[in-house]
Amino acid sequence: MFPGAAARTHGHAAPRILLVDDDRDLLVPLADQLRHDGFDVTTARDGDEALRRLDSSWPDLLIIDLLMPRMDGLTLAREVKARADLPIIVLSAIDAGDNKADLLDEFAEDYVTKPYHYSELRARIQRVLRRVGDRVPRKGLDLGPDLSLELHRRQAVVGGQEVQLTPTESRLLFALAANLGQTVTTETLLSRGWAETDEAEPSYVWVTMRRLRQKLEVDPNRPRHLLTVRGIGYRLVAVGNAGAGLDQADV
Amino acid sequence: MTPDPLTSERAKPGDHVSVVVDTEPRPRRRLSLSFQTRLTLTLLAAAIVPLGVFGLVLIVTGTVEPQVGSRLLLFMFAIAVAIGILGGAVIGLDLVRPLREISAAVQRVSAGDLSQPIPVEGNDVLAQLAESHNRLAGDAERRNRQLGLILAAVESAEPRDGTAALAERAARDAERAFGFISAELRFVDPDTVEEEERIPGVSLPIRAELRAGDERLGLLLASLPATQTWERADQTLLDLYASEIGVALRNAELFEQVQDQNVQLRRLSEVKDDFLRGVSHNLQTPLTSIRSNAEAIAADSAARDPRLGTISDQADRLSRMVQQLLLVGRLESQPLRPDTDVLALGSRVQRAWDALGVRDRTLDFEDTAAGWLAIGDGDQLDQVLWALLDNAVKYGEGTVAVRIGADATAGVVWTTITDQGRGLDESDREWLFGRFERGPAGRTSGNGSGLGLYVSRALMRGMGGDLVLDPPSTGRGASFRLTLPGEPAQEA
Repeated sequence: MFPGAAARTHGHAAPRILLVDDDRDLLVPLADQLRHDGFDVTTARDGDEALRRLDSSWPDLLIIDLLMPRMDGLTLAREVKARADLPIIVLSAIDAGDNKADLLDEFAEDYVTKPYHYSELRARIQRVLRRVGDRVPRKGLDLGPDLSLELHRRQAVVGGQEVQLTPTESRLLFALAANLGQTVTTETLLSRGWAETDEAEPSYVWVTMRRLRQKLEVDPNRPRHLLTVRGIGYRLVAVGNAGAGLDQADV
Repeated sequence: MTPDPLTSERAKPGDHVSVVVDTEPRPRRRLSLSFQTRLTLTLLAAAIVPLGVFGLVLIVTGTVEPQVGSRLLLFMFAIAVAIGILGGAVIGLDLVRPLREISAAVQRVSAGDLSQPIPVEGNDVLAQLAESHNRLAGDAERRNRQLGLILAAVESAEPRDGTAALAERAARDAERAFGFISAELRFVDPDTVEEEERIPGVSLPIRAELRAGDERLGLLLASLPATQTWERADQTLLDLYASEIGVALRNAELFEQVQDQNVQLRRLSEVKDDFLRGVSHNLQTPLTSIRSNAEAIAADSAARDPRLGTISDQADRLSRMVQQLLLVGRLESQPLRPDTDVLALGSRVQRAWDALGVRDRTLDFEDTAAGWLAIGDGDQLDQVLWALLDNAVKYGEGTVAVRIGADATAGVVWTTITDQGRGLDESDREWLFGRFERGPAGRTSGNGSGLGLYVSRALMRGMGGDLVLDPPSTGRGASFRLTLPGEPAQEA
């Protein structure tokens, strides 16, 4: 019932959200709703103010508008990412199909179109917060001679060819890569790939993993990187000594 | 391998006479005796005729006994014939050798070998002939080289290089090919440029018109060193070059124009996209705040006021219509890049129906696609489902029937949405998926934007699926069929 409480397992009293939007009529009720649900919300009316707030403390998550006066959402997202790898949800009237939204691929964790349904936005926030604490090397992850992942750009390089990943695929891979070599349960993957409002089921994970294998494995029928642990979940493994440098990058 | 007659003759010079003599008896060529034979006959005639006359005079005047005289005369004749033939052969050979060399050289030239000049000896007519042949071959070789350079220059002229760069390069190429001191291209009316004066001992002004078809683009002006000759063939070659360059320049000009237009079109398209973005932002932002405030009030108040739900639903509706309009504007300028997420159609249909907020109609829903999931873009599919269900409510009557199923062999998940309205005629099917079209009911009521089906079909096809109107059947209204790529929902 109180989603903020669910996210409290990460050590903070309540997940901190920095909400940036120039529209006061949206900012106030949304901040109220989020506070009501147990989040620690700070607001900013534009990019400059948001960056000033970052100077004093770092939130767990930013929600930013795309079109704002003075500094637009893209510039702000870039500035934020230059300081710290904070997850960003874009809340915008420009829908995700617009090519302007594409520019955000590299920076935004998720994209919610205005007018949003509060319950959906909340579910997305929770999903993003579940990844807090997980770290994947930003400059890329080498998993063997045929596969390297650049999850921050939603890309993989398979046998020298660049392959574009969907947001869901890269979210699942992020969870798997953060626990490289270990089994991640289907339930965990489900909660990391989809929000509650998506009403996703384990079969979503199965199908997505099968499709991912077709994208990433040289021979999808004999996978070497994306392994199934039957009845439990999945495991991402490095082949050869490719994962050796990871420990340093991970620390 | 039959030996080339020319080389075999050159290899055996002693055969000359016999070869020439052999050709003589042929009746057809009776009158064209060879040069050597004619020479020999002339020598013989020159020796025998005066000798005979002299002998006859001696015999007639009685200075010599006729018997002795005729024998002596016969003997002298024999000597004259021998000397004549020998002399004819020697002189003939001496004359024929350089001629043969010239002939061989001409054959070489006509075969394309311009590299071997004929050695010139002495100062006589034959030497002059050899020299003029050598000059001819030299000229031919030079023009060949020029032609090669010109062809290379013309071939390398790419329209995308731009006119300025092309003109500059054409001038440099002309200098190199023709050996000009300098050359330039001037884009002026050729008639306004006066002929330059020739500076004796320094340079010769040369010009050629730049043409593209009938259009005169300008002039190629150049100066040639006085040491070089400029003949009609050179001018012809330069004219040819100038007209080729003219065409290349015209192409470059056209290319630049097309590029300019492309840039303008792209800019216009960007301006349009920016405008649509602005419209979207300015319409959706107030709708968002209406919606979120209504939701916030609903969450606060203990007693749920149904009117708050209506406010939310109607804001949603308005926002979807705005989205539809924007999509139409964007379909032409930006490619659709749908996500490929795993989707369960059943829950999406249910949610789209709930979002419509229709209270007085019922949904008859049956999902037989168990074990199958669709692949597509959730937001886009929602947009399509909303538009189709909204249509079914608006134009149909009674229950709206939705069936979901999977076609395992085709790997497709399908959905049909059927209303109980009067359906659509054959004639309606033609325009149904066009822009700004509405069904008969819609036309009269002025309800809806007429964009729903057009946008929906584009979205479905963008996702690798389709949207079609099912064939009409009795007892039901219009039935739309959506398809999407499907995947079996098994652990893998």
